[in-house]
Amino acid sequence: MEPMIEDSGVAESAESRTETTERTPAGRQNARTRSKSPTAIALERLRRDKVAMVCATIFGLFILIAIFAPLLTTLEGQDPTTYHQDLLDDYGFPTIAPNGEHWLGIEPRLGRDLFARFVYGARPSLIVAGSVTALTTVIGVVVGLVAGFAGGWVDRVLSWCIDFVLSLPYLLFAIAVPAVLLSIFVGSAEGAPPDDVARARFFSLIIVLSFFGWANLARLIRGEVLSLREREFVAAAKVLGVPTHRVLFKELLPNLVAPIVISVSLALPQYIVTEAGLTFLGVGLTEPTPSWGVTIASAQNYYRADPLYLWLPVGAITVLVLSLSLLGDSVRDAFDPRTRR
Amino acid sequence: MLLYILKRIVSAISVVIVTLVASFALFFLAPTDPAGVICGPRCTPTRLADIEQSLNLDEPPLEQIGSYMKGLVVGRDFTSGGVTQHCDAPCMGYSYTLGQPVTKLLKQAFPVTLSIVLGGAVVYLSVGILAGTIAAQRRGTTLDKVTVGTTLVVNSFPYFVLALLVALYATFLPQTGYHSFLDNPLLWASGLVAAWLTLGLANAAAYTRYSRASMIESLGQDFVRTARSKGVPHRRVVYRHGLRAALTPVATIFGIDLAFQLTNAIFTESIFGLPGLGMLTLRAFAQYDLPTLLGSVFVGSVALVLMNLLVDIAYTFLDPRVRLG
Repeated sequence: MEPMIEDSGVAESAESRTETTERTPAGRQNARTRSKSPTAIALERLRRDKVAMVCATIFGLFILIAIFAPLLTTLEGQDPTTYHQDLLDDYGFPTIAPNGEHWLGIEPRLGRDLFARFVYGARPSLIVAGSVTALTTVIGVVVGLVAGFAGGWVDRVLSWCIDFVLSLPYLLFAIAVPAVLLSIFVGSAEGAPPDDVARARFFSLIIVLSFFGWANLARLIRGEVLSLREREFVAAAKVLGVPTHRVLFKELLPNLVAPIVISVSLALPQYIVTEAGLTFLGVGLTEPTPSWGVTIASAQNYYRADPLYLWLPVGAITVLVLSLSLLGDSVRDAFDPRTRR
Repeated sequence: MLLYILKRIVSAISVVIVTLVASFALFFLAPTDPAGVICGPRCTPTRLADIEQSLNLDEPPLEQIGSYMKGLVVGRDFTSGGVTQHCDAPCMGYSYTLGQPVTKLLKQAFPVTLSIVLGGAVVYLSVGILAGTIAAQRRGTTLDKVTVGTTLVVNSFPYFVLALLVALYATFLPQTGYHSFLDNPLLWASGLVAAWLTLGLANAAAYTRYSRASMIESLGQDFVRTARSKGVPHRRVVYRHGLRAALTPVATIFGIDLAFQLTNAIFTESIFGLPGLGMLTLRAFAQYDLPTLLGSVFVGSVALVLMNLLVDIAYTFLDPRVRLG
């Protein structure tokens, strides 16, 4: 059993206790004038959740940083790829501290601007995690809907595929498969230009993570559909001669909003961590892509000499993932019908 | 019951076989040119042909899979430069770059990963179940809220970042490294303590939540009230009656988790420099060593499928409410 039912109380109990007196009459009035969809109710609960709002704001900030990365670096007057070798001493350590020209200083050894690397680093994290989440959600929902609704041999085949994907050692594959995809994309890995390799790595990472990500949601949706399809409104739609795809997407899908939203909000931070982790291990994104995982990997050797170099990406990824996960938990509490009191 | 177990075993075997064929196809039939990589930049056509022959790359694909399967079951012979070497029964070929049988490499790596995962499990099970039980008893108090809040934060903390920070800054912990348990148990333990604590504390959060929720449910059951009304001491009610019933779901989650951690210990291994299964895969990736990649993926899949099977079967015995048609 998931312990979500108990968790919801912590953040909300304080407010809801003070609010119950005002809320009850207002709610009754609302019910008389207009009815609210479950999604509207959930969003309203979410808006009252302070933790969720703070976390959403932090997430929004990171998105803004990623979108306006070129603008921010232009403001600073730097870019993420120029090597400032003249500012390094003979051992490769920077001779300057953070100043007006380089807001957060420069990298040891290569001398690239740290602020520019930091703001551009937000991009691959969010793009990879975002597209993997989108892909896995679409695939998972479609497979789950079809498997649950069709039944029979279609269901048996799709269920076997779900079980199959779920029983693969996904991290080992995530390491092994890009090696193969890379050779398909760019041919021999030795002579290829680094930009091509970086792009191939980017796409193979998205492919691999998507391949392993959809099965959990598909299983969940299938289970929900199995019980939904026996309900009267689906039978009514069938009797009226509504075509199958309309039954699936107009009748069933709106009833699956809660599990889908919950799964999206919990998947996003998970993929950010996975991307950064694989990149850190050297099997995800590579140079010259500015990525926090790459920076953490090279900065771990300078953790004493240059703590800012390490702590900048470490702090960024931790804050982003923490806020997204806490937001995900709040979203789950808001949308899960079992937590409604 | 027996029919269900048989069905599960058949489906497990089908998964393993499909995994093997699919990954074989992916690694050896994709245009990866492993012989070219081994041969290196100063390669002559005759040397290339010789390497291709020694790796059986000149055979048709189906035959390659066939001889690989045969190697797994009964062993096979490799001929390279006129010398024939026999590779014993669970044969997965030879590492391209190390020249050693893949089976041997895996045998060396597996105990390392197993030690990390089992040691970590001791930490997170003891910390998690204890914290969960205590929090469940004091449900709604400040202590409970602090515990739940902490688990929420620890649970969402990116694991590799946590492990990296421990490895870099927790210098008071003994030097990490792997030593065989049979040679020197003390050295074995001290070399793994940092990894155990990191893995253990990171996972303890999840287990605190599981056991807290499970414990709250079981403490509300009738048999607990009966025990209380009989006058059984509080401690005994909680730990003997309540906890025992609460542990079944936790044990199920643990079984599945354990299998995943065996294949996901890679961050712990690479950050603490422990030569386990994950490190072997990483090295094979960097050096384009396909037989080793295939071998570790295969072993990982088998471990995962086997654990899932065991958990499913054990569950039918542990929980009398599960009835199978």
